[in-house]
Parts: sequence; structure tokens; C-alpha cells
Amino acid sequence: MTVFFADFDLPSTPVSTGIAWPDVALSFFAIVLEGAPFLLLGAIISGLVDVFLPANTIRNWLPKSKTQGVFAAMGAGLIFPLCECGAMPIVQRLIRKGVTPAVATTYMLAAPALNPLAMFSTYLAFRNQDPWLMIALRFGFSFLVLLFLGFWLVRLRPEEMLRAETITGSPRPAQEMSPNPGLVLAPRPGLSLGGVQQFTGAVIRDFTGVLLFLVIGAAAAALFSTGFNRNLLAPIGHDIFWGPLAGILLAQLLCLCSTTDAFIIAAFVPFSVPAKIAFLVAGPLIDLKLYWLYRSAFKPKFVHGLWIRALAATFLLTLLYSLHP
Amino acid sequence: MIARQLSFLAPAVVMSAWATVMLHTIVSGHINRLLSPMFRSYVLVAAILLVLLSVLYLFLYEPAAETSTATLSPTGLLRQLGRWLVLLLPIVAASVLAPATFSSTTLQNRQIDSTAGALPMPTWNSTSQANAKNIIDSDPNQAVPVEVTDLITLSHSPDQMKAFDGRKVRLVGLFNNQSGSNPKLYRFIMWCCAADAQPASVALGGNTQGGWKNDQWLEVTGTVTFPSTLGHVAPYIDVESIKPAQEPDEPFLSP
Repeated sequence: MTVFFADFDLPSTPVSTGIAWPDVALSFFAIVLEGAPFLLLGAIISGLVDVFLPANTIRNWLPKSKTQGVFAAMGAGLIFPLCECGAMPIVQRLIRKGVTPAVATTYMLAAPALNPLAMFSTYLAFRNQDPWLMIALRFGFSFLVLLFLGFWLVRLRPEEMLRAETITGSPRPAQEMSPNPGLVLAPRPGLSLGGVQQFTGAVIRDFTGVLLFLVIGAAAAALFSTGFNRNLLAPIGHDIFWGPLAGILLAQLLCLCSTTDAFIIAAFVPFSVPAKIAFLVAGPLIDLKLYWLYRSAFKPKFVHGLWIRALAATFLLTLLYSLHP
Repeated sequence: MIARQLSFLAPAVVMSAWATVMLHTIVSGHINRLLSPMFRSYVLVAAILLVLLSVLYLFLYEPAAETSTATLSPTGLLRQLGRWLVLLLPIVAASVLAPATFSSTTLQNRQIDSTAGALPMPTWNSTSQANAKNIIDSDPNQAVPVEVTDLITLSHSPDQMKAFDGRKVRLVGLFNNQSGSNPKLYRFIMWCCAADAQPASVALGGNTQGGWKNDQWLEVTGTVTFPSTLGHVAPYIDVESIKPAQEPDEPFLSP
């Protein structure tokens, strides 16, 4: 137990040395400016899917078995990488097009986590710190956590996961099924531009619907990433037990993109390898910003369940690695 | 009637406002303080697309009938309006309030010495190395312009460190002086956006007097050495001269 609960000098390190609100504004502004173009790209792809891909076609592409669907979704995450912000509107569109929510959600989680660009940035960031080990651990642990989450997801009913307006095949009017119930789209009569109208409406609805959650998530991320004193985690970052927890906690608060996070954590000298891997595995799956983004499509209870399971699985794997001789 | 019009115009107003903020950020150069160069063109494209979407929306759609707006939301018009305001006000406020770079408060929260192991540092590339070599070859006593991050990168390369040890260098950065430690000159490194920026610093000694304030941009000229403390090598500058400097075009260093 003495290994797990070392005598840390925590009281001397304040949780925060203060919050500079202009700095929070700077962070917030940077996050939304970086995220909005990708969100718009996701909304445009979503609009194209809406107009050009019939639901039957998508359903025919996917394996019939849910288990195979989970593997297919993880493979798709590898082949069609997307950042966290861009994936959100596409996943909502796929669900409304009839893709099993478990499969679409697995893809949503896999796209940033197994992203080849994230692996490449990991190599660059750690090229002086055993990069191949870091890539192997990041990819391997992310794969295992995704597998665990995927098999949990296939056991859930869509109504347990999704907000009412996201559920597939709802008999309610299309307006209520949108991710943005505050937007009323009344096509101007007499225009023979049905496809353009459908595409424009889908893009605007998806973009503004998810943007709201990006704004809320970015505000939370900006507050913690500027106000939280990272020195607080330094004394525990090398501990066998607390190190992975510190990595997970830091990932939740910093809310970094999966293609950037490796550069940040590589610089955390006080963190052990398991702590760094915990940071790299947990962050792309869920953090404070993603929590709010996920809330745009999923029920709060489901998001909380996802949060707990993703972090617990990450912690267990990195702890096991931490304990290995 | 007014509610119908407001409800109809809100998406176009919000998208146009975002596009305006994005374009203003680009035109004013403020984007240099927010995003790394790789992401800046994406913002321009997004701004243009948002303008297009706003125009298309006004052309393709019309205010909904009273019956549609009345049944659309159980919580009414106020909540709808609130949604649009959340999309509108924070981005406008942030664009006005965001400073050029982070203050010393955030610097402390982000660990001023945290980048000691962050290699490779940006900026110490083949061009800057060739430039430094040319200056040293032409006049060994001339101050070599370097970045804070260059010196940290050098401190991890014994060969290059040896070549620079004792050289006169000139660098620009933000000043920080905490009680109990040497004054420092630091820069923030930005990988994607300012939110992920991390500080990198070099310690200053010698002639650092001048009543400099924390977070003030300064140009420092001095001799660089690489002392080792408990096996950790870190650059140190024995300052010869120090003077106020203009904020660089790129306040953050990027890869």
C-alpha cells in the first residue's frame, strides 16, 4: 500500500494560482475557432449523406450482426478518420439514416481514438522517448477499450442511448427529429431546388445544432485548461496507482484534440509512461468538451455511463501495465 | 409576427456573425494569436461557407407559418431565443475580450518549466540552423538571433550545445520574475490552437535590472551557457543588454 499511497506534498500546491478571465476568453475563442470549421465539414458530409445516400444503401453496406458491426465501426474509424467535432453531425445523420446506434457510436469513439494521424503525431511527439512503444500502447489500449465499449453498446436499446429527437425511424414529424428543435425550416414555395433545399437545411440544422454544444463544451474546457494548476498532478504522475489517474484527470480537463494531445503530454516530465498512455487513451474517448458534444445526440444517463466505463477501462488497463514488472 | 421574423432570421444572423468574427480575426491578424498556421486557412474557408449558407438560407426558406412555430418546442420562444443567443454572444464577447497572449497566472497554472522534455521543439529547423551557422561563420562575436525554444532544443543535443556554449545570442520573449527563482524569458508554444499552448522558458542572470513587468515583451542579448543541475541541463543567459520589444507578428511559436 505504501507504493500506492506515497507521501505526496499536495497541500503546498494550490489547485489553481487563480483564473485570469481574459485568458479563459482567449482559450475559448481558440477552441471554437479551431473546432467550428471541422464541425461545418462534418455537417456538410452529413448533408451529402442525407441527400445522396439512401438509408437502404447504408444498411446494406453494414454487417447484419451487431458484433461484426462493432468491428466494422472500429475499422471505419481507422480508414475514415475524423476529429471529435467533425464526427458528431455525421454520426447523428447515420443514426437517422438507420445505422444501428451502437455501430454509429462505436465509429464516433473510434474515429479520433484510432486515427492514423493521432498515431503519427504520437510518433513525432515521442520520437526521443521510445515512440514505437507509445504508439503500440496507445493503439492497443484504445482498441481494447473500444472493444469493451462496443460490446456494452450493442446490449443497449436505442431509446436508452439516444435523445428523443435523434432516434431512428420515429413516426414523429421530421422537424422534431432534428438535432436542433429550435430551427424551423419552411421551404419557400415555387422553387424547383428540392435537393439544394434538403442539403442546405440539413447542413444548417446539423451545424447550428451541434455548435451549441461545442460552445458550452469549449467554455468548460477553456475554464479548466487555463485555471487548473498542472503542478498539482506532478507529484503523483510517476506513482503506480495515482499516475494513470492523474493522466486521465488531466485529459478530462485539458480537452485536447487526438492529433495534438501527444505533444502536450510528451512534455510532462513528471508523468510515467502509464500516466501518459492513460492521458492519450482516455482523452479522445471523452472529456469535458466531448461530454457536451455527446449530449447533443445522447441522453445524459447514457453519456454518464459511457464516461464512467471509458475511464474505468482505461484506468484498469494502464494500471495493469503500471504493475507489470 | 415579430417572433416569426426573429425565429426565421436567427440562423442567418448567427451564421453571418460567426463568419464576420472569423473574417475579422483573419484580416486583423488576430488569428496569429489563436491558431497555428496549419488551421488558419480552414477558418477562412469556413467563413466563406457560412456566408454562402446564410444567403442560401434566406433565398431557399421563408418564415414558418404560425402553427409550425407554435408547436415546435414545448418550452417556447424564450428557450429558442436563448439557444441562438448562446451561439451569438460568447463568440462575439470572446473576440473582443481575448488578449494577445496568456498572462502570468495561466503561465503558472501551465508550469513555466514544463517543456523541458518537449522535444523536438518547433522553430529549430534547417533554415534557422543554417542562418545561425552563417552568422557565426561571418562574425563569431555577433549576436545570433534565436528563439527560446531553440536554446532548449540545443540543450538536449550535446554536439550543438557545445557549438553554442558561450556564444552571444539575441532573443525576444515575455518576461517573468517570480520570487525565489531567476527571472525568465518565455514563449508559449502552440501546437494546434492557443488553448493547448505551453510555456517554454530560459533563465536570465546578470544585467536584468530595469523594472520590467511580468508578461512584458523584451529583447535580450547575452551569452548563453548550459549549466547542469542534478543532471538536468537547461539554458542560461548572462544578460548584457535588455530592452522593450514589439510583440512579434507570431506571439506563439508553432511547429
